[in-house]
Amino acid sequence: MRRLPLSPRRLDWIITAILALGAVVWLLSVEGRQGIGRDEAQYFRAGERYWGWFSELSDNLAAGHPGRSFTASDIDRYWGDNAPDHPVVMKVLYGISWRAFHTCHCTGATRSLHPVPIRARHRTLPLFARESTAFRFPAILFAALLVGMVYRFARRWLPRGPAAVAAVLTLAQPHFFFHAQISCFDAPIATMAFAVGFAYWKSLRDWRWGLATGALFGISLGVKHNAWLIPFFLVAHYVWMRRGDLRARRLPRVPLAFLAMLVLGPLIFLAHWPWLWVSPLARTRAYVERHLEHEHYNFEYLGFNFNQPPTTTKMKWIRATAPFVETGLTVPVTTLALAALGAGLLARRRRGAPVAPESAESEARPAGHPSSLRPSWLRPGADVDRAPGAFVLVQTLGPLSVLAVPSTPIFGGVKHFLAAMPYLALLAGLGLDWLIRVAAEGLPDARAGLRRAAPAALAVLVCLPALVETRRSHPDGLGHYNLLAGGFAGGASLGMNRQFWGYSVLPMLPDLDRRVPENRQFFWHDVLSDAIWMYKRDGRLSLEVGNTGFGEEGIARSEIGILFYEKHWAKYEAWFWQYYGTTKPVEVRAREGVPLVTLYRRGVR
Amino acid sequence: MTFRPSRRQLTLGAVIVVASLAVVETTVALVAPALAPTDADWVAAAAAVRAGFRPGDLIVAAPGWADPILRVHLGDLIPPEVAARMDDDRFARVWEVSQRGAHAPAAEAATATVARDERFGRLRVRLLERPAETVTYDFVAHGADARLTRRDLRGGVAACAPAGDRVNCAAGGSVLFRRQVVEVEQKLREALLTEPLANAALAIEFPAVPLGRALVIATGLHDTWMRKAARGTVEARVTVGDQTTELPVTDDDSGWTRTRIDTSARAGQTLPVRLEITSANPYDRFFAFAAEARQ
Repeated sequence: MRRLPLSPRRLDWIITAILALGAVVWLLSVEGRQGIGRDEAQYFRAGERYWGWFSELSDNLAAGHPGRSFTASDIDRYWGDNAPDHPVVMKVLYGISWRAFHTCHCTGATRSLHPVPIRARHRTLPLFARESTAFRFPAILFAALLVGMVYRFARRWLPRGPAAVAAVLTLAQPHFFFHAQISCFDAPIATMAFAVGFAYWKSLRDWRWGLATGALFGISLGVKHNAWLIPFFLVAHYVWMRRGDLRARRLPRVPLAFLAMLVLGPLIFLAHWPWLWVSPLARTRAYVERHLEHEHYNFEYLGFNFNQPPTTTKMKWIRATAPFVETGLTVPVTTLALAALGAGLLARRRRGAPVAPESAESEARPAGHPSSLRPSWLRPGADVDRAPGAFVLVQTLGPLSVLAVPSTPIFGGVKHFLAAMPYLALLAGLGLDWLIRVAAEGLPDARAGLRRAAPAALAVLVCLPALVETRRSHPDGLGHYNLLAGGFAGGASLGMNRQFWGYSVLPMLPDLDRRVPENRQFFWHDVLSDAIWMYKRDGRLSLEVGNTGFGEEGIARSEIGILFYEKHWAKYEAWFWQYYGTTKPVEVRAREGVPLVTLYRRGVR
Repeated sequence: MTFRPSRRQLTLGAVIVVASLAVVETTVALVAPALAPTDADWVAAAAAVRAGFRPGDLIVAAPGWADPILRVHLGDLIPPEVAARMDDDRFARVWEVSQRGAHAPAAEAATATVARDERFGRLRVRLLERPAETVTYDFVAHGADARLTRRDLRGGVAACAPAGDRVNCAAGGSVLFRRQVVEVEQKLREALLTEPLANAALAIEFPAVPLGRALVIATGLHDTWMRKAARGTVEARVTVGDQTTELPVTDDDSGWTRTRIDTSARAGQTLPVRLEITSANPYDRFFAFAAEARQ
């Protein structure tokens, strides 16, 4: 049998595929233990409703009246859901994935729990037993795509081992991992931000990637509004890279990538979101204003509850540290140490020198005709050093710095600056590469075997803490803090956020389901009705379990209820004491002794 | 002779440091879950506390975030008025159920002596005995005795009549006045809850307070969302007999502020105590206070 030649290029693609597939398998194997937060539940609903529009469009096409799907009322009926909050690229994918891959029990008892009427049993490719998994699948694919891209990017600078480690460390972060498996937008926008950055980097010496940068930026705009920040980071790097132009008192040429972003970005954004079509300017403005004036939800940080911009100097300083301290206390410490080494190496790198020995070829200026070295808007990085240190620095610190501005809401914690994490992992890969080289140099020639084994051993060793910490954190990744903080308990003692939006009830569902008949009058606190419906559609909760609604009235009407621990919910506990006549919970769901959810039952003594 | 490491030694040192860090971090991540107290630890600790508990004892968890689990096991001994106490000073015996080397503020008094100290798995139970202040009058418990009046800018005074959870002040509208477990600084406190009046002072008078050596009053603004919604401050003063004390201004950030007023010159006397509150911007200001006359 003839063996296929394994070229270096092919080997890299195989490793990319293995890493991405590994990410998919890992995330799919654990996502079922991860509860459904308020935001995710709304995106399930919106995704299914958007699918409803496509379904109706298909019917209208068949009936010869496609125009009916494009009337303002029809568009708003479907696309008005979750608007103007978020654009729809991911939600459409969630809806399509659900429609394609769920196991349909849709005409059964849960038929009434769908946001659009179910007319008949769906014909699907039933890959997933739970509907929620089918919704989440695209988010998981995006996370896998990021893992693959980090490897590809890292390979431009690093040998295969450290590049693969960078890819693994991207996902093996408890908070990133939490967001990577849910059908929200924070991990997907990190993927898209990295894709745009990667394309921009390549566009500096290849005009085709300039066009791709524009297209990818347009898609990013359709994923989440964080995409607005991408141009600032790229421009900052570009101006630094071409600072020689400024010294020569001439403006740097505007590169094709930026022009493409300027043209394709808004076009793709407008084209992808039918809700905008009804009144493009007014609705785009409503969307932009929605985020420029976003409410400050409650968030616990260092023992303080932040729910509005701080007013005193002391609190402004404390608030400004949030993204840096949160990064320092959530990313595995070994990853941070490696990243610090990598950052040091980039800082010490001389202009024009390779990032690492292996990158000498990829970072060298293009050879060939002298015209290829002339400054050009098509290849603006051809005649200069591409300043990789500045690039990674801006991409890492940029998202954190924006969140350090005290007037910026911080209610999402790490999720607001997840886009920095792949670059942090890239730096860690750089650090590891250096360690491997010095370890090999340090070993005597006589220990050839050890010298050969050292790179793989070191690579596995530095991945271990990240993998173990991530596994430990699941499914409560938001409450997990690293070695420096002292884990779940250390984070709680430091007054750090433990959770938000009611996802952490999932492990309690079997017990709550058994508490008949009191669970007919159930107070769900921060669990949105859309999430309760999805638990029922997934078969994890009986249809008969009730929901007495939100707030004080909800507790007053209930027989049994839960309370999520977050500082700002304290008054809900007082209502439990008042209406239930007891301070004694019947159960507390905790991780490593740290309370997350408290269950009260009326009249317990 | 000084040791000057070579570049090679330094770089190898870096390898060893990172490798050691990875080993330590992995080991801690694997071991740490087992360091948390188990249900059995809690059951055993609770049984020990229950066996020695006397009415009037305070039971606290350390760190404070373990309090909900403590109440699962001992909540029947921690009624709302204790769980949401004004402060810890009235408790002579404090049971502290702690983990991870933490101590509760209530158990840290310098004068406390440790009467019991036992371990139950990952939990430690200490009984601390300490001098406590005797309460001669609890204003929250006597909330129903309070008489409320409205004093307008021109000095006109009108009585306010109780109407359920509110009081109706002649020519001045209606304000909340009730005993409630309130939330101040995201902590629960049993208090009297009221609202400042627009363009007038609200006076809350307790006609016959048996005074001790001190009057301790704590104030704060109730409700996270109301503190977010408005910025107005509340000014308050306490008058004991003919002695008036200005209290610290209560605002969104002042938390639960305790003020101790020396009444030793009037100890043993029974006098009216009057709290007067005003606010230039009373919108969404829910003023909570608790007070005790102490021996």
